[in-house]
Amino acid sequence: MLDTLVSQTANGLVLGFIYVLIAVGLSITFGLLGVINFAHGAFFALGAYAAWQLYQLWGWWAVVLAPPLVGVAGMVVEVAIIRRLYGKEPLLSLIVTFALALLIEALIRLLWGADGKPFSPPPFLNGIVEYGPLLITKYRVAVLGTTVATLLALWAFLAWTPYGRILRAGSRDPEMVELLGIRLPRVLTAVFGLGCALAAIAGVLAAPLWTVSPSMAAGAIMPAFVIVAIGGLGSFPGAVVAGLAVGVVMSLTIQFKADAAAASMYALMFLVLLLRPRGLFGERWERFE
Amino acid sequence: MASLSVFRPFTRRALVCGLAALGLAGAAFAQDTGPVRIGLIYSKQGPGAAIGEFLQKGSELAVEQAGGKVLGRAIELVWLDEPNPQVSQQNMQKLVNENKVVAVVGGNYSSSALAMMSVAAREKIPLILPGAAASEITGKNCSRYVFRTQATVPVQMRGLMPYVSQIGKKVYFLTPSYAFGQDILRSARSLLKQVGASEVGVDEVPLNTADYSSYILKIRQAKPDVVVGGLVGGDFSNFLKQWNEMGMREKIPYVAVAVTDTDFWDVGPQASTGIYIKPWYYNNPKNSAAEKKFTEDFMKKYNRPPSDKSWSGWIAMRSLLESITAAKSTEPKAIVTALEKWKNAEGATPFYFRDWDHQLVRPAVIVKVKANIKDKWDYMDVLKDTSANEAETARAFGGKEEVGCSMPAL
Repeated sequence: MLDTLVSQTANGLVLGFIYVLIAVGLSITFGLLGVINFAHGAFFALGAYAAWQLYQLWGWWAVVLAPPLVGVAGMVVEVAIIRRLYGKEPLLSLIVTFALALLIEALIRLLWGADGKPFSPPPFLNGIVEYGPLLITKYRVAVLGTTVATLLALWAFLAWTPYGRILRAGSRDPEMVELLGIRLPRVLTAVFGLGCALAAIAGVLAAPLWTVSPSMAAGAIMPAFVIVAIGGLGSFPGAVVAGLAVGVVMSLTIQFKADAAAASMYALMFLVLLLRPRGLFGERWERFE
Repeated sequence: MASLSVFRPFTRRALVCGLAALGLAGAAFAQDTGPVRIGLIYSKQGPGAAIGEFLQKGSELAVEQAGGKVLGRAIELVWLDEPNPQVSQQNMQKLVNENKVVAVVGGNYSSSALAMMSVAAREKIPLILPGAAASEITGKNCSRYVFRTQATVPVQMRGLMPYVSQIGKKVYFLTPSYAFGQDILRSARSLLKQVGASEVGVDEVPLNTADYSSYILKIRQAKPDVVVGGLVGGDFSNFLKQWNEMGMREKIPYVAVAVTDTDFWDVGPQASTGIYIKPWYYNNPKNSAAEKKFTEDFMKKYNRPPSDKSWSGWIAMRSLLESITAAKSTEPKAIVTALEKWKNAEGATPFYFRDWDHQLVRPAVIVKVKANIKDKWDYMDVLKDTSANEAETARAFGGKEEVGCSMPAL
């Protein structure tokens, strides 16, 4: 019994970290730009496809190029479309980004076809690690390492660099930041690109686990939204704590009451929002009240 | 003014009637001499898009092999989407009203198929379903205008379960948690005792589940001899990838119904494994000469072999074209009567639509994924047919009482 509990909890934590990575990009885009990006899942899929294509061309090392490429694509989209949504009512950004998600999915289908692309973990990461009751695949350990490193780097960037300070200040009081002589539009373009690049990192890491197909984001994007809601919109630590909680809750529900697996994360969201309507780490933001 | 308003409804009605009469005459005229229009309803977007594409390619090739003509008139295919039951039903209506099709081939999902069937029955337009395995389609909801090529879930399970018990006696079920999965579970459980196996666990998985690691850990603890599944499409591909990733591929055999070749081509040779029941496989030495020609033509045209879905789209379209030819008419009632008499005797076991429920009665094949896949497309070895001859096949598809169809009159 204890073995089962330990093994499922560990598995849930690993899964939770993948969800955190998807959710963090979503949370940053919302927190800093005020845009709820429904196309986040599409950038996730784009990341997986870019990785597949780069792997076909130049082998394993090339997949690291996928996130920056998708980030650049995100910046182009920001300049062309997203920029026009700032300060408008949230409903508009929902509809426009939803349309964008459909458009990107259709583009993927046009470019790479409707069928999935075979993509397995690299040979050097094949196999499993067993330690007492714990069973984790080598690939998932690698995913865990990459995710934690990415999250730490992101946190350090936002907390300690001057650029990070500008971002955080810009999200609270854009006018003041502009008065200080900082060109905010350029900063916001970079933020959206960063959000898309984070989605793409998650896409690259998920490609060997989940089927690479145009609608691959369907099963991953809902947990991401739930995690952002539980953690508190725009909160970085919130996304991490909520992501891990959702991973563990889902794993344990599958073990003990599999019928309720799909409902478990929504039940968690319901409970958290009932007690803390702004989410676990949600703060009062003048802009969104 | 008052008098005018009195006359207005009358004149308007007359005008509408006149226009309608003209329209009908025009339609009748077009149907006799213009091209023969046939509707297709297959997925164009979403998770089913790849399957839709293979179905459509099969149907299109059947038309091409017939020289693009039937009764000396050109065939025009109109392909609409099958995204969900509502829109599929609207598209079926659109094909009938706007495109004036003589018949429709399509419907891969049982939910869409059931919605489309109501239009077929109301408008009296023949509909041939190449997919859709729910029992009620040729059972209690059966319709005079609807035919189906896919075998039902109970029929497929009856072919598969004896095979399962040869592998091992302890069975774990992993099925999708909606009507189709419940159908699998029900049929399999009713056969467990008969084949001498027992159930050690069951998980009903919600649709669009991305990660199966927790389920796989659970299966690992239960230590079954064999896992009987029914996951479909992207869910199935995700499962296969993670099953392999977690090192289960060599340990416990996975056995399932309702898979298609593209599921395996999507995950690649490294993760593919298992034993499956399928309507057809392209590299089966027992395929008839016509089927071999179909495979050859398909390879030539699309540069890849046909999946079993392509075969379903192909045989559904062929049965329709051959029935139109036999009826010497595109009149719906004549087509239905001809379909009820249609029979294909090209292979070792002849197959046909049973006249009392419109189910195609034909053996399926049991296939096993090769241990060492060398070819880009050829992943399977054919183990055997589910039944050896016509009489045995008819028995496997069940009797009138079990099927429960009371066929309405034409």
